[in-house]
Amino acid sequence: MKDNNIIIEVKDLVKTYKTGEVETRVLKGVDLAVKRGEWIAIIGRSGAGKSTLMYQMSLLDEPTSGDVIIDGRHANKFSEKEKIRIRLYKFGYVFQDYALMPELTAIENIVLPLLMERIMHAHAQERAIAALKKVGLEHRIHNLPSQLSGGEQQRVSIARAIAESPEILFADEPTANLDRESSKQVMNIFADLHREGQTIIMVTHEEEYTKLAQRVIRIDDGQIVDEEKHPRVRT
Amino acid sequence: MFSLLNIRVGWFLAWRQVRRTSRWTTSLIVFVMLLTFLNLVAVSGLLVGIVDGISNLYRQQETGDVILKTPVSKNYIEHSSDILAFLKTLPQVKNIAPRYVSSGMIEANYKTRTDYTDKPNETAAVIVGVDIEGEQALAGVASYIGEGSYFAPGDYDQIIIGSQLVDRYAFGGDIFPNISVLRNVYPGTKVRVTINGQTREMTVKGIIVTTANSPLAAKVLIPGYELRQLMGRDDFNLSQIAIDLNPGTDPGAFTSLLKRSGVGADADVLTYTEAIPNGVDEVRRTFQQIGTAISSVGLVVASITIFIVIFINALTRRKFIGILKAIGISGEAIEIAYMFQSFFYAAVGSAIGLAILYGFLVPYISAHPIVLPISHAILVAPIAETIPRVILLVVATVIAGYLPARMIVRKNTLDSILGRE
Repeated sequence: MKDNNIIIEVKDLVKTYKTGEVETRVLKGVDLAVKRGEWIAIIGRSGAGKSTLMYQMSLLDEPTSGDVIIDGRHANKFSEKEKIRIRLYKFGYVFQDYALMPELTAIENIVLPLLMERIMHAHAQERAIAALKKVGLEHRIHNLPSQLSGGEQQRVSIARAIAESPEILFADEPTANLDRESSKQVMNIFADLHREGQTIIMVTHEEEYTKLAQRVIRIDDGQIVDEEKHPRVRT
Repeated sequence: MFSLLNIRVGWFLAWRQVRRTSRWTTSLIVFVMLLTFLNLVAVSGLLVGIVDGISNLYRQQETGDVILKTPVSKNYIEHSSDILAFLKTLPQVKNIAPRYVSSGMIEANYKTRTDYTDKPNETAAVIVGVDIEGEQALAGVASYIGEGSYFAPGDYDQIIIGSQLVDRYAFGGDIFPNISVLRNVYPGTKVRVTINGQTREMTVKGIIVTTANSPLAAKVLIPGYELRQLMGRDDFNLSQIAIDLNPGTDPGAFTSLLKRSGVGADADVLTYTEAIPNGVDEVRRTFQQIGTAISSVGLVVASITIFIVIFINALTRRKFIGILKAIGISGEAIEIAYMFQSFFYAAVGSAIGLAILYGFLVPYISAHPIVLPISHAILVAPIAETIPRVILLVVATVIAGYLPARMIVRKNTLDSILGRE
């Protein structure tokens, strides 16, 4: 029976990279379903395929075979324009290296994708300021990324992602470049967002931070080898 | 592609990238655009200016603003005295230079010639009988005298020779194969002038030293009253009347006035542009085409430069382009951002170029022409010809900026983010 609460699902997902004559099968038939409001942590050693899985789910890459199903629709049927629209309206991204535009201030980095959503500049700024407040950076709105610490840059990156009120927040190793204190701040923000109902799919290699997630998917050699549900329930 | 949304987002990105990018980089690109602009406009402008310099010399030294010439079917301008009297009544007229013109031979060093089998030291020349004061007022001949001096009122048996008739100044040696230029001629040298079989001994009073293409360069001047005697003329009918007009007078309108007044019945009434020899206009067009060819190469070089600059810029920012695409910014908006940046570089470079061109170069070179062996070159850059070139430069630059951006934007988003090939 179809579960209407499933927001994204992958079925028998295979991804193969070809370098010259050499083929590397990074994902070997992964099945995964994510429910609305769920926080999933994908963990695994380097090269296990966790980031590759996230790239397929977030429509940044195309699988070699298998299905990515978003809100019941098969992604392989989406045109490139539809994919851009989904990435803009439904998904939010937090990258390992923050991925902020160096010439844009904190607020401008957040306003830019909002403008693409046809939101008026003044309203986009209001939303950007609200998002920055949420991550505790309302005092840094006019700073360029180069004037911010790594932790602050990552919080701006989170603010950019959540300002668009995405249905799913994808985070690829969000704490990998941060010190312990900044990492904690970032994870606390994720926890707050999750409490508010945000669906989060997070890739990490740090066991410590998976404890906050509802479900931990362990990947090895391109396959899900373990799935652990945490008793912690979203309130 | 050019939806309002893409333009809005593209502008948002471009303006901030231009504002916050390294000032050195921006300055360097703008400087390249400035040089390209000057190359595009100034090179052809100077080439044309060489020829216009020659035209200007014709206007200054020979035609004035309007010239009355002997009709082809006549030997002279009939009723010259009446015409001169009429011209003097017109308020538009500033200076008048009446002239008698004849061909003749000039021979020098005839007293020291011992071997009569030797070729005589002589040359053929156009001999112009001038009104001493009128010619000075119109053509300012005294300022071109390099050796000796200009005539004084009442001078008799005095002659002024153009530099192209004197061996040490002549451009390219003999004028014709069998007629040499004059050797050993200096102020004070005695020469024999032969016109219509009448020979008179005269003294060289001055030598005109000017560019080879100057109309004075290959002429011989003597006082008009003396030439009239040598020609055996007693009717006072002239060969030419050059007229300088007061500032603000339109030469075309003035020639119409003269023609309506009946002057046209006795003389060809020409503006200075109509009187310039045909060859000058052909050389002008030739130089214009050469200038256009050189400028076109400059434009291609500038386009390639901008292509490379934007390509390197886009390549080094490939990761950020990938991120922009990942967070939902359309490829078109990113491409437009790069087009805006290219437009900015071209527009600022051209604007600075225009300011330098019309604020400094054109007026300065006009006031201080570049002295070249063949001309006093000016910088010809009419605004009507410059603006299309500016538009061409901007369009070429925007295209040169768009292409590399498009190449990078088209790459796979994830490959761009991860720096994969």
